Amino acid sequence: MISLKLNTLLDLLQLADSALPIGAGAHSFGLETLVEEGGLCSETAESFFRDYISEAGLLDASFVRRAWRGEDARQLSDEFCARRLARESREASLKMGRRFSQLVNALVSGTMMPDHAVYPVAFAVAGAHLEIREDDIVLAYLRQSLAGLISVCQRLMPIGQVAASRMIWNLKPSICAAALASKNREVGCFTPLPELASMRHGSLETRLFIS
Amino acid sequence: MYVQEQQPPWKVVRAFSGENGGSLVHLHNVSGGVLSGDHLTLDIDAGPGSIVQVTTTGATRLYRHRQGAARSEQHVKIHVAEGALLEYLPDPLLPFAGSRHRQCTSVSLADRATLLWWDVLAPGRQAMGETFAFDRLHIQTELRSPTRPLLIENLVLEPAQHPLQSPARLGAYTHVANFYACSVGLESSKWRELESKLTDFCSARSKPGVMIWGSSALAADGIAVRGLSVSARELPATLAAIWKIAKRFLTGEDAVLPRKVY
Repeated sequence: MISLKLNTLLDLLQLADSALPIGAGAHSFGLETLVEEGGLCSETAESFFRDYISEAGLLDASFVRRAWRGEDARQLSDEFCARRLARESREASLKMGRRFSQLVNALVSGTMMPDHAVYPVAFAVAGAHLEIREDDIVLAYLRQSLAGLISVCQRLMPIGQVAASRMIWNLKPSICAAALASKNREVGCFTPLPELASMRHGSLETRLFIS
Repeated sequence: MYVQEQQPPWKVVRAFSGENGGSLVHLHNVSGGVLSGDHLTLDIDAGPGSIVQVTTTGATRLYRHRQGAARSEQHVKIHVAEGALLEYLPDPLLPFAGSRHRQCTSVSLADRATLLWWDVLAPGRQAMGETFAFDRLHIQTELRSPTRPLLIENLVLEPAQHPLQSPARLGAYTHVANFYACSVGLESSKWRELESKLTDFCSARSKPGVMIWGSSALAADGIAVRGLSVSARELPATLAAIWKIAKRFLTGEDAVLPRKVY
Protein backbone atom coordinates (compact mmCIF):
# COMPACT_ATOMS: atom_id res chain seq x y z
CA MET A 1 0.00 0.00 0.00
CA ILE A 2 1.41 3.38 -1.02
CA SER A 3 1.62 5.91 1.81
CA LEU A 4 -0.31 9.16 1.53
CA LYS A 5 2.94 11.04 1.26
CA LEU A 6 4.20 9.00 -1.70
CA ASN A 7 0.79 9.06 -3.36
CA THR A 8 0.70 12.86 -3.05
CA LEU A 9 4.19 13.09 -4.49
CA LEU A 10 3.11 11.01 -7.49
CA ASP A 11 0.04 13.24 -7.97
CA LEU A 12 2.26 16.32 -7.93
CA LEU A 13 4.76 14.85 -10.38
CA GLN A 14 1.98 14.04 -12.82
CA LEU A 15 0.21 17.39 -12.58
CA ALA A 16 3.51 19.27 -12.84
CA ASP A 17 4.62 17.39 -15.94
CA SER A 18 5.27 19.94 -18.69
CA ALA A 19 3.86 17.37 -21.15
CA LEU A 20 0.46 17.32 -19.43
CA PRO A 21 -2.15 17.24 -22.23
CA ILE A 22 -3.66 20.70 -21.69
CA GLY A 23 -2.39 22.45 -24.81
CA ALA A 24 0.42 24.42 -23.15
CA GLY A 25 2.74 23.64 -26.06
CA ALA A 26 0.61 25.71 -28.43
CA HIS A 27 1.21 28.99 -26.59
CA SER A 28 4.30 31.19 -26.51
CA PHE A 29 2.74 34.01 -24.43
CA GLY A 30 4.39 36.59 -26.64
CA LEU A 31 7.84 35.01 -26.84
CA GLU A 32 7.39 34.28 -30.54
CA THR A 33 7.00 38.01 -31.23
CA LEU A 34 9.96 38.90 -29.02
CA VAL A 35 12.19 36.50 -30.91
CA GLU A 36 10.89 37.65 -34.29
CA GLU A 37 11.59 41.31 -33.47
CA GLY A 38 15.03 40.66 -32.01
CA GLY A 39 14.14 41.21 -28.37
CA LEU A 40 15.11 37.70 -27.27
CA CYS A 41 17.83 35.31 -28.43
CA SER A 42 19.56 32.18 -27.16
CA GLU A 43 22.34 34.23 -25.55
CA THR A 44 19.94 36.36 -23.51
CA ALA A 45 17.31 33.72 -22.76
CA GLU A 46 18.55 32.77 -19.29
CA SER A 47 18.79 36.35 -18.03
CA PHE A 48 15.42 37.09 -19.62
CA PHE A 49 13.78 34.26 -17.71
CA ARG A 50 15.54 35.26 -14.48
CA ASP A 51 13.83 38.67 -14.68
CA TYR A 52 10.58 37.27 -16.11
CA ILE A 53 10.14 34.86 -13.20
CA SER A 54 10.69 37.71 -10.72
CA GLU A 55 7.85 39.67 -12.35
CA ALA A 56 5.26 37.55 -14.22
CA GLY A 57 6.19 34.35 -12.41
CA LEU A 58 5.75 36.09 -9.08
CA LEU A 59 2.32 37.38 -10.10
CA ASP A 60 1.15 33.94 -11.24
CA ALA A 61 2.52 32.34 -8.06
CA SER A 62 0.54 34.80 -5.91
CA PHE A 63 -2.65 33.64 -7.61
CA VAL A 64 -1.68 30.00 -7.07
CA ARG A 65 -1.27 30.68 -3.35
CA ARG A 66 -4.53 32.57 -3.02
CA ALA A 67 -6.44 29.83 -4.87
CA TRP A 68 -4.83 27.11 -2.76
CA ARG A 69 -5.92 29.00 0.38
CA GLY A 70 -9.54 28.85 -0.76
CA GLU A 71 -10.32 32.25 -2.29
CA ASP A 72 -13.23 32.14 -4.74
CA ALA A 73 -11.97 30.67 -8.01
CA ARG A 74 -14.23 32.77 -10.24
CA GLN A 75 -13.34 36.06 -8.57
CA LEU A 76 -9.65 35.20 -8.61
CA SER A 77 -9.87 34.35 -12.30
CA ASP A 78 -11.63 37.66 -13.03
CA GLU A 79 -8.89 39.51 -11.16
CA PHE A 80 -6.20 37.56 -13.00
CA CYS A 81 -7.81 38.43 -16.34
CA ALA A 82 -7.83 42.10 -15.35
CA ARG A 83 -4.09 41.86 -14.75
CA ARG A 84 -3.41 40.28 -18.15
CA LEU A 85 -3.73 43.03 -20.72
CA ALA A 86 -2.96 40.85 -23.73
CA ARG A 87 -6.07 39.04 -24.95
CA GLU A 88 -4.19 36.09 -26.48
CA SER A 89 -2.31 35.33 -23.25
CA ARG A 90 -5.46 35.74 -21.20
CA GLU A 91 -7.44 33.40 -23.43
CA ALA A 92 -4.56 30.92 -23.40
CA SER A 93 -4.64 30.77 -19.62
CA LEU A 94 -8.41 30.30 -19.64
CA LYS A 95 -8.21 27.49 -22.24
CA MET A 96 -5.44 25.73 -20.37
CA GLY A 97 -7.35 26.12 -17.12
CA ARG A 98 -10.47 24.63 -18.67
CA ARG A 99 -8.62 21.65 -20.15
CA PHE A 100 -6.72 21.09 -16.92
CA SER A 101 -9.97 21.09 -14.92
CA GLN A 102 -11.56 18.60 -17.33
CA LEU A 103 -8.49 16.36 -17.14
CA VAL A 104 -8.36 16.33 -13.35
CA ASN A 105 -12.10 15.67 -13.07
CA ALA A 106 -11.62 12.72 -15.44
CA LEU A 107 -8.61 11.39 -13.50
CA VAL A 108 -10.37 11.49 -10.12
CA SER A 109 -13.78 10.63 -11.58
CA GLY A 110 -15.25 13.63 -9.86
CA THR A 111 -16.49 17.18 -10.33
CA MET A 112 -14.31 19.02 -7.88
CA MET A 113 -12.72 21.38 -10.39
CA PRO A 114 -14.11 24.83 -11.29
CA ASP A 115 -15.46 25.37 -14.83
CA HIS A 116 -14.01 28.72 -15.77
CA ALA A 117 -10.75 29.15 -13.92
CA VAL A 118 -7.51 30.45 -15.34
CA TYR A 119 -4.68 27.96 -15.27
CA PRO A 120 -2.82 29.06 -12.10
CA VAL A 121 -6.10 29.02 -10.17
CA ALA A 122 -7.16 25.60 -11.51
CA PHE A 123 -3.70 24.20 -10.78
CA ALA A 124 -3.90 25.35 -7.18
CA VAL A 125 -7.46 24.11 -6.65
CA ALA A 126 -6.38 20.65 -7.78
CA GLY A 127 -3.38 20.82 -5.48
CA ALA A 128 -5.48 21.75 -2.48
CA HIS A 129 -8.02 18.97 -3.13
CA LEU A 130 -5.22 16.42 -3.52
CA GLU A 131 -3.66 17.61 -0.22
CA ILE A 132 -0.45 18.78 -1.86
CA ARG A 133 1.32 21.31 0.35
CA GLU A 134 1.00 24.98 -0.57
CA ASP A 135 4.72 25.66 -1.07
CA ASP A 136 5.09 22.50 -3.17
CA ILE A 137 2.24 23.43 -5.51
CA VAL A 138 3.64 26.95 -5.98
CA LEU A 139 7.13 25.65 -6.78
CA ALA A 140 5.72 23.03 -9.12
CA TYR A 141 3.65 25.62 -11.00
CA LEU A 142 6.62 27.94 -11.45
CA ARG A 143 8.94 25.18 -12.58
CA GLN A 144 6.37 23.77 -15.00
CA SER A 145 5.69 27.22 -16.48
CA LEU A 146 9.39 27.90 -16.91
CA ALA A 147 10.03 24.51 -18.51
CA GLY A 148 7.16 25.13 -20.91
CA LEU A 149 8.47 28.53 -21.98
CA ILE A 150 11.99 27.21 -22.43
CA SER A 151 10.55 24.45 -24.59
CA VAL A 152 8.89 27.18 -26.67
CA CYS A 153 12.25 28.89 -27.02
CA GLN A 154 13.81 25.66 -28.29
CA ARG A 155 11.40 25.74 -31.22
CA LEU A 156 12.17 29.39 -31.94
CA MET A 157 15.94 29.55 -31.58
CA PRO A 158 18.98 27.27 -31.40
CA ILE A 159 18.86 25.94 -27.83
CA GLY A 160 19.78 22.27 -27.46
CA GLN A 161 18.37 19.81 -24.94
CA VAL A 162 21.35 20.01 -22.58
CA ALA A 163 21.40 23.82 -22.72
CA ALA A 164 17.67 23.91 -21.96
CA SER A 165 18.11 21.58 -18.99
CA ARG A 166 21.02 23.66 -17.73
CA MET A 167 18.88 26.79 -17.94
CA ILE A 168 16.11 25.25 -15.84
CA TRP A 169 18.73 24.00 -13.37
CA ASN A 170 20.41 27.42 -13.12
CA LEU A 171 17.10 29.20 -12.57
CA LYS A 172 16.17 27.20 -9.46
CA PRO A 173 17.16 30.09 -7.12
CA SER A 174 14.91 32.44 -9.11
CA ILE A 175 12.02 30.02 -8.86
CA CYS A 176 12.52 29.72 -5.10
CA ALA A 177 12.79 33.50 -4.69
CA ALA A 178 9.55 34.06 -6.60
CA ALA A 179 7.80 31.35 -4.62
CA LEU A 180 8.89 32.98 -1.37
CA ALA A 181 7.99 36.52 -2.48
CA SER A 182 4.53 35.37 -3.56
CA LYS A 183 3.61 35.05 0.12
CA ASN A 184 3.31 38.85 0.20
CA ARG A 185 -0.26 40.07 -0.11
CA GLU A 186 0.61 42.74 -2.68
CA VAL A 187 2.84 41.79 -5.60
CA GLY A 188 3.94 43.89 -8.53
CA CYS A 189 4.54 42.90 -12.13
CA PHE A 190 6.26 45.14 -14.70
CA THR A 191 6.67 43.33 -18.03
CA PRO A 192 5.55 45.83 -20.67
CA LEU A 193 7.72 44.47 -23.50
CA PRO A 194 6.64 40.79 -23.27
CA GLU A 195 3.06 41.92 -22.72
CA LEU A 196 3.14 44.14 -25.79
CA ALA A 197 4.76 41.30 -27.70
CA SER A 198 1.75 39.14 -26.82
CA MET A 199 -0.60 41.93 -27.94
CA ARG A 200 1.26 42.15 -31.26
CA HIS A 201 1.50 38.38 -31.80
CA GLY A 202 -1.61 38.21 -34.01
CA SER A 203 0.08 40.56 -36.50
CA LEU A 204 3.03 38.26 -37.21
CA GLU A 205 3.07 37.07 -40.82
CA THR A 206 3.73 33.46 -39.89
CA ARG A 207 3.09 31.92 -36.50
CA LEU A 208 4.04 28.60 -34.94
CA PHE A 209 1.99 29.28 -31.83
CA ILE A 210 -1.61 30.25 -31.11
CA SER A 211 -0.49 32.97 -28.69
CA MET B 1 -18.90 71.82 -13.66
CA TYR B 2 -18.75 72.15 -9.92
CA VAL B 3 -15.47 72.38 -8.01
CA GLN B 4 -16.24 71.05 -4.55
CA GLU B 5 -12.86 71.87 -3.14
CA GLN B 6 -9.46 72.86 -4.38
CA GLN B 7 -6.30 73.46 -2.44
CA PRO B 8 -2.76 74.23 -3.58
CA PRO B 9 -0.71 72.96 -5.19
CA TRP B 10 -3.51 71.90 -7.52
CA LYS B 11 -5.83 74.46 -9.04
CA VAL B 12 -8.70 73.91 -11.45
CA VAL B 13 -8.73 76.26 -14.40
CA ARG B 14 -12.28 77.26 -15.27
CA ALA B 15 -14.13 74.98 -17.65
CA PHE B 16 -14.28 75.78 -21.34
CA SER B 17 -17.49 74.80 -23.10
CA GLY B 18 -17.21 72.33 -25.95
CA GLU B 19 -19.23 72.26 -29.14
CA ASN B 20 -20.89 69.06 -27.98
CA GLY B 21 -22.08 70.71 -24.77
CA GLY B 22 -19.28 69.22 -22.73
CA SER B 23 -16.67 70.85 -20.53
CA LEU B 24 -12.90 71.02 -20.95
CA VAL B 25 -11.11 71.30 -17.59
CA HIS B 26 -7.42 71.93 -16.95
CA LEU B 27 -5.65 70.89 -13.76
CA HIS B 28 -2.67 73.07 -12.93
CA ASN B 29 0.03 72.29 -10.34
CA VAL B 30 1.04 75.77 -9.16
CA SER B 31 4.19 74.48 -7.45
CA GLY B 32 5.54 73.26 -10.79
CA GLY B 33 5.95 69.68 -9.71
CA VAL B 34 5.74 67.11 -6.93
CA LEU B 35 8.10 67.35 -3.97
CA SER B 36 9.11 64.79 -1.36
CA GLY B 37 6.40 64.26 1.21
CA ASP B 38 3.67 65.76 -1.03
CA HIS B 39 0.34 63.97 -0.77
CA LEU B 40 -1.97 64.95 -3.63
CA THR B 41 -5.54 63.80 -4.05
CA LEU B 42 -7.87 64.30 -6.96
CA ASP B 43 -11.51 63.21 -7.08
CA ILE B 44 -13.40 63.46 -10.36
CA ASP B 45 -17.09 62.67 -10.46
CA ALA B 46 -18.64 62.78 -13.95
CA GLY B 47 -22.39 62.94 -13.26
CA PRO B 48 -25.08 61.09 -15.20
CA GLY B 49 -25.06 62.01 -18.88
CA SER B 50 -22.22 64.51 -18.50
CA ILE B 51 -19.53 65.07 -21.13
CA VAL B 52 -16.19 66.15 -19.74
CA GLN B 53 -12.56 66.30 -20.78
CA VAL B 54 -9.91 66.68 -18.08
CA THR B 55 -6.31 67.45 -18.90
CA THR B 56 -3.29 69.08 -17.30
CA THR B 57 -1.24 72.12 -18.20
CA GLY B 58 2.08 70.30 -18.30
CA ALA B 59 4.00 67.15 -17.41
CA THR B 60 3.82 65.93 -13.83
CA ARG B 61 7.40 66.43 -12.71
CA LEU B 62 8.53 64.32 -9.79
CA TYR B 63 11.39 66.27 -8.25
CA ARG B 64 14.45 64.78 -6.56
CA HIS B 65 13.59 63.78 -3.00
CA ARG B 66 15.66 64.94 -0.06
CA GLN B 67 17.66 62.19 1.59
CA GLY B 68 15.53 60.49 4.23
CA ALA B 69 12.38 62.39 3.27
CA ALA B 70 9.07 60.62 2.79
CA ARG B 71 8.05 59.61 -0.69
CA SER B 72 5.48 61.67 -2.54
CA GLU B 73 2.05 60.24 -3.28
CA GLN B 74 -0.76 61.02 -5.70
CA HIS B 75 -4.20 59.48 -5.34
CA VAL B 76 -6.74 59.89 -8.13
CA LYS B 77 -10.28 58.63 -7.73
CA ILE B 78 -12.60 58.81 -10.70
CA HIS B 79 -16.25 57.89 -11.00
CA VAL B 80 -18.08 58.00 -14.31
CA ALA B 81 -21.83 57.82 -13.80
CA GLU B 82 -24.46 56.27 -16.04
CA GLY B 83 -24.37 57.50 -19.61
CA ALA B 84 -21.48 59.90 -18.95
CA LEU B 85 -18.38 60.35 -21.10
CA LEU B 86 -15.06 61.23 -19.44
CA GLU B 87 -11.88 61.85 -21.41
CA TYR B 88 -8.97 61.90 -18.97
CA LEU B 89 -5.89 63.08 -20.85
CA PRO B 90 -3.05 64.01 -18.49
CA ASP B 91 0.41 65.07 -19.68
CA PRO B 92 3.33 62.66 -19.16
CA LEU B 93 4.76 61.59 -15.82
CA LEU B 94 8.39 62.67 -15.62
CA PRO B 95 10.38 61.22 -12.71
CA PHE B 96 13.57 63.17 -11.97
CA ALA B 97 16.69 61.51 -10.64
CA GLY B 98 16.37 60.63 -6.96
CA SER B 99 12.57 60.78 -6.87
CA ARG B 100 10.42 58.31 -4.94
CA HIS B 101 6.73 58.34 -5.74
CA ARG B 102 3.58 56.31 -5.46
CA GLN B 103 0.64 56.93 -7.78
CA CYS B 104 -2.75 55.29 -7.25
CA THR B 105 -5.57 55.68 -9.75
CA SER B 106 -8.95 54.12 -9.10
CA VAL B 107 -11.72 54.36 -11.70
CA SER B 108 -15.28 53.11 -11.29
CA LEU B 109 -17.62 53.03 -14.27
CA ALA B 110 -21.38 52.82 -14.02
CA ASP B 111 -23.60 51.15 -16.61
CA ARG B 112 -23.28 52.81 -20.06
CA ALA B 113 -20.39 54.96 -18.81
CA THR B 114 -17.63 55.68 -21.32
CA LEU B 115 -14.02 56.45 -20.50
CA LEU B 116 -11.19 57.45 -22.82
CA TRP B 117 -7.91 57.71 -20.95
CA TRP B 118 -4.26 57.93 -21.81
CA ASP B 119 -1.03 58.15 -19.88
CA VAL B 120 2.64 58.37 -20.73
CA LEU B 121 5.63 57.48 -18.58
CA ALA B 122 8.90 59.14 -19.49
CA PRO B 123 12.27 57.82 -18.27
CA GLY B 124 13.40 61.12 -16.75
CA ARG B 125 15.17 64.26 -17.97
CA GLN B 126 17.08 62.58 -20.75
CA ALA B 127 18.61 65.85 -21.97
CA MET B 128 20.22 66.15 -18.51
CA GLY B 129 21.56 62.59 -18.77
CA GLU B 130 18.91 61.21 -16.44
CA THR B 131 17.42 58.05 -17.83
CA PHE B 132 15.85 55.73 -15.27
CA ALA B 133 17.70 57.62 -12.52
CA PHE B 134 14.73 57.77 -10.17
CA ASP B 135 14.84 55.74 -6.96
CA ARG B 136 11.39 54.14 -6.98
CA LEU B 137 8.14 54.55 -8.81
CA HIS B 138 5.07 52.60 -7.71
CA ILE B 139 2.05 52.85 -9.99
CA GLN B 140 -1.23 51.21 -9.00
CA THR B 141 -4.21 51.31 -11.30
CA GLU B 142 -7.65 49.83 -10.92
CA LEU B 143 -10.49 50.20 -13.39
CA ARG B 144 -13.85 48.58 -12.59
CA SER B 145 -17.31 48.17 -14.04
CA PRO B 146 -20.27 47.49 -11.72
CA THR B 147 -19.76 43.73 -12.06
CA ARG B 148 -16.03 43.06 -12.39
CA PRO B 149 -12.51 44.45 -12.52
CA LEU B 150 -11.50 45.48 -16.05
CA LEU B 151 -7.88 46.46 -15.54
CA ILE B 152 -5.56 46.09 -12.57
CA GLU B 153 -1.89 47.04 -12.58
CA ASN B 154 0.63 47.13 -9.77
CA LEU B 155 3.96 48.31 -11.17
CA VAL B 156 7.05 48.69 -9.02
CA LEU B 157 9.99 50.25 -10.80
CA GLU B 158 13.34 50.31 -8.98
CA PRO B 159 15.91 50.80 -11.73
CA ALA B 160 18.97 50.40 -9.51
CA GLN B 161 17.83 47.04 -8.13
CA HIS B 162 15.95 45.67 -11.16
CA PRO B 163 17.27 47.13 -14.44
CA LEU B 164 14.46 48.34 -16.67
CA GLN B 165 16.52 47.63 -19.78
CA SER B 166 15.99 43.91 -19.28
CA PRO B 167 14.09 42.37 -22.24
CA ALA B 168 11.64 41.08 -19.63
CA ARG B 169 10.78 44.73 -18.81
CA LEU B 170 11.43 47.53 -21.36
CA GLY B 171 14.33 46.20 -23.41
CA ALA B 172 15.75 48.97 -25.56
CA TYR B 173 12.71 51.20 -25.12
CA THR B 174 12.48 54.11 -22.70
CA HIS B 175 8.96 55.52 -22.95
CA VAL B 176 5.68 53.77 -22.15
CA ALA B 177 2.32 54.99 -23.45
CA ASN B 178 -1.10 53.56 -22.67
CA PHE B 179 -4.54 54.29 -24.02
CA TYR B 180 -7.71 52.79 -22.56
CA ALA B 181 -11.21 53.00 -23.97
CA CYS B 182 -14.11 51.55 -21.97
CA SER B 183 -17.85 51.59 -22.49
CA VAL B 184 -19.79 49.46 -20.03
CA GLY B 185 -22.35 47.24 -21.66
CA LEU B 186 -20.97 47.25 -25.23
CA GLU B 187 -21.00 43.71 -26.60
CA SER B 188 -17.71 41.83 -26.95
CA SER B 189 -18.01 41.53 -30.74
CA LYS B 190 -17.76 45.32 -31.03
CA TRP B 191 -14.61 45.32 -28.93
CA ARG B 192 -13.07 42.73 -31.25
CA GLU B 193 -14.00 44.95 -34.18
CA LEU B 194 -12.34 47.97 -32.56
CA GLU B 195 -9.35 45.83 -31.64
CA SER B 196 -8.97 44.88 -35.29
CA LYS B 197 -9.10 48.53 -36.41
CA LEU B 198 -6.58 49.63 -33.81
CA THR B 199 -4.33 46.65 -34.50
CA ASP B 200 -4.12 47.66 -38.16
CA PHE B 201 -3.27 51.21 -37.12
CA CYS B 202 -0.70 50.01 -34.58
CA SER B 203 0.99 47.75 -37.11
CA ALA B 204 1.30 50.60 -39.56
CA ARG B 205 2.88 52.87 -36.95
CA SER B 206 5.25 50.29 -35.48
CA LYS B 207 8.93 50.07 -36.26
CA PRO B 208 10.63 47.50 -34.01
CA GLY B 209 13.60 48.99 -32.25
CA VAL B 210 12.17 52.52 -32.51
CA MET B 211 8.48 52.47 -31.58
CA ILE B 212 6.00 49.60 -31.30
CA TRP B 213 2.29 49.56 -30.59
CA GLY B 214 -0.25 46.86 -29.88
CA SER B 215 -3.96 46.68 -29.14
CA SER B 216 -5.98 44.18 -27.14
CA ALA B 217 -9.56 43.91 -25.98
CA LEU B 218 -9.86 43.76 -22.19
CA ALA B 219 -11.64 40.88 -20.47
CA ALA B 220 -14.84 42.90 -20.75
CA ASP B 221 -16.17 46.37 -21.60
CA GLY B 222 -12.98 47.87 -22.97
CA ILE B 223 -9.78 47.90 -24.94
CA ALA B 224 -6.17 48.74 -24.19
CA VAL B 225 -3.50 50.08 -26.50
CA ARG B 226 0.12 50.11 -25.40
CA GLY B 227 3.15 51.67 -27.01
CA LEU B 228 6.86 51.56 -26.27
CA SER B 229 9.26 54.02 -27.81
CA VAL B 230 12.90 55.11 -27.68
CA SER B 231 11.84 58.76 -27.66
CA ALA B 232 8.85 60.93 -26.85
CA ARG B 233 8.75 62.53 -30.28
CA GLU B 234 5.94 60.61 -31.95
CA LEU B 235 3.96 59.55 -28.90
CA PRO B 236 1.55 62.51 -28.63
CA ALA B 237 0.50 62.43 -32.28
CA THR B 238 0.08 58.65 -32.23
CA LEU B 239 -1.98 58.72 -29.05
CA ALA B 240 -4.17 61.47 -30.50
CA ALA B 241 -4.77 59.39 -33.63
CA ILE B 242 -5.67 56.31 -31.55
CA TRP B 243 -8.03 58.42 -29.49
CA LYS B 244 -9.75 59.72 -32.63
CA ILE B 245 -10.29 56.19 -33.94
CA ALA B 246 -11.68 54.96 -30.62
CA LYS B 247 -13.91 57.96 -29.99
CA ARG B 248 -15.47 57.87 -33.46
CA PHE B 249 -16.07 54.14 -33.14
CA LEU B 250 -17.64 54.35 -29.68
CA THR B 251 -19.57 57.61 -29.86
CA GLY B 252 -19.83 58.53 -33.55
CA GLU B 253 -18.23 61.86 -32.70
CA ASP B 254 -14.90 63.44 -33.54
CA ALA B 255 -12.25 63.82 -30.86
CA VAL B 256 -11.64 67.44 -29.95
CA LEU B 257 -8.05 67.84 -28.87
CA PRO B 258 -7.24 70.02 -25.86
CA ARG B 259 -5.47 73.26 -26.73
CA LYS B 260 -2.00 71.77 -27.17
CA VAL B 261 0.31 70.75 -29.95
CA TYR B 262 0.07 67.11 -30.96
